[in-house]
Amino acid sequence: MLAPAPEAAAAVRVVTTTEDLASIVREVGGDRVTVEAIASGRQDPHFVEPKPSFILKLNKAELLVIVGRELENAWLPPLITQSRNARIQPGNPGYLDASQNVKILDLPTGAITRAMGDVHPQGNPHYWLDPGNGRRIAQTVQARLAQLAPADAEYFAQRTADFVKRVTEAEGRWKAALAPYKGLKVVTYHRSWSNFADGFGLDVIGYVEPKPGIPPSPAHTLALIQEMKAQNVKIILVEPYFDLKTPTAIARDTGAKVVVLPPSVGGAPGATDYLRLFDYDIKLLTDAIRESAAR
Amino acid sequence: MNIVQIGTFLAAPFAASLILTGIHAYLGVHVVERGVIFVDLSLAQIAALGATIALLLPFSSGDPHGPEVYWVSLAFTFIGAAIFSLVRGHHSRIPQEAIIGISYAVASAAAILAMSKSTSQAEHLNHMLVGNIIAVSWHEVFKTAGLYGVVGLFHFLFRRQFLAISLHAEEPERTGLNVRFWDFLFYASFGFVVTSSVAIAGVLLVFCYLIVPSVAAMLYAETIGARLAIGWVMGTVVSAAGVYLSVVLDLPTGATIVCTFGAVLILMWLARPLIRPQRAPA
Repeated sequence: MLAPAPEAAAAVRVVTTTEDLASIVREVGGDRVTVEAIASGRQDPHFVEPKPSFILKLNKAELLVIVGRELENAWLPPLITQSRNARIQPGNPGYLDASQNVKILDLPTGAITRAMGDVHPQGNPHYWLDPGNGRRIAQTVQARLAQLAPADAEYFAQRTADFVKRVTEAEGRWKAALAPYKGLKVVTYHRSWSNFADGFGLDVIGYVEPKPGIPPSPAHTLALIQEMKAQNVKIILVEPYFDLKTPTAIARDTGAKVVVLPPSVGGAPGATDYLRLFDYDIKLLTDAIRESAAR
Repeated sequence: MNIVQIGTFLAAPFAASLILTGIHAYLGVHVVERGVIFVDLSLAQIAALGATIALLLPFSSGDPHGPEVYWVSLAFTFIGAAIFSLVRGHHSRIPQEAIIGISYAVASAAAILAMSKSTSQAEHLNHMLVGNIIAVSWHEVFKTAGLYGVVGLFHFLFRRQFLAISLHAEEPERTGLNVRFWDFLFYASFGFVVTSSVAIAGVLLVFCYLIVPSVAAMLYAETIGARLAIGWVMGTVVSAAGVYLSVVLDLPTGATIVCTFGAVLILMWLARPLIRPQRAPA
């Protein structure tokens, strides 16, 4: 294959697996890229039902950006193979795992045993919900775009610096909004909020779903209810694509409030880009905390 | 969307759907004649249970598509086939369909229990065991065509025995044919095919390829040959229409084919009085 000519001004065609990555690529690439996401923000990124258009998107892509850490393992690999696009095959410059430089939580240490319960060998894949990781993803994307379109490297660097600055400013605002509730104990449905909790000082004391995809056992639910009562937990965070039956039942028993919080861009009407996702989630969360405290 | 361009990507799924039509429309005639409609769901679930348990065993590399998982899953399929051939219901008071339903429920639940003990990938496992026809590769198409060719040849060579035990089980017993033995061979080859098909096309689609062409053909023909011909034509037409609709409407391919099967079956049922006037009641 020929190396791209430096004067090539055509926009780089980027496909991302999630809307979060699409938003960050848009910030970095500006009008020198076109970006399409495969999964919508309302979908559980673990399970995406493939459609014919996905293969077409992948076939035309010059750069595929994935969340990685096994998040897309259930559906993406065969689509990449079927795309008949050599550029985006793993290992080639058109394939970018956005997780390579980010801060990963829940990494198992030592040998994985069955007693540890559900473990992602590569750590928690929901890492984008930490503004620090948002900045790191942008820098990873910047480096790769500069490699694919060297003529625009300066442009990408400027836009990335601007995005990093805006995220840092906003992060100060977000942290200030949550500062009064530092150390607040919450329960979440899925293990989606580890990085968010880490970044904003929340304390996740348990999960509604002991193992993804496996219904909670009565013993698990009872233990969770007792733990919530003992530690006075008043907030249950649930991703929009999960059933509210169990969380609602737990909330009834504990007096907690169920908050449906989108973990992805596009998961709610207000959460239209990476920065607005945090704006939206933090507003929803602080409102819910105040409301539950007033009850 | 550019239909010609995307057509090249759907060539493999379409070829796969033709292979599914070929073998399942035939096996479907047997299944409908035997009245064991849900046997494929049950065997597929037993195979999935085998795969789940294999992943828990220390010798498996943890790869759901690895050889260890495949062989354990196949062994479970054969155990299921043995159970179904032992409980054949012609003389029994308990309908065979009840045993099939119970096997399905218990195998599903046991798979959930097994998954709750796995260290990782529990969330993906369900989906990895169930294929999606849009993601099928040419390699899988050729491999499946070869395997099903062998199964098809086997059934063609012993068609007399297989048809005899499916159509009238009492007669071959009188003529000395070992019904249990041939039943086992039927369920084993059937389970082998269904397990492979579910891995590339998913449970719903495989069920439709098995049952719908056979049922549709029964609306119009009595003889096995005519029913097979109608089933194959219907399966091919529905595959083409389903793949086409999934492209122009950008819908998930497997589910689109399933709904197209439903719609075409209704049309064939509605058209039946026009094409085949009701005979006077006997």
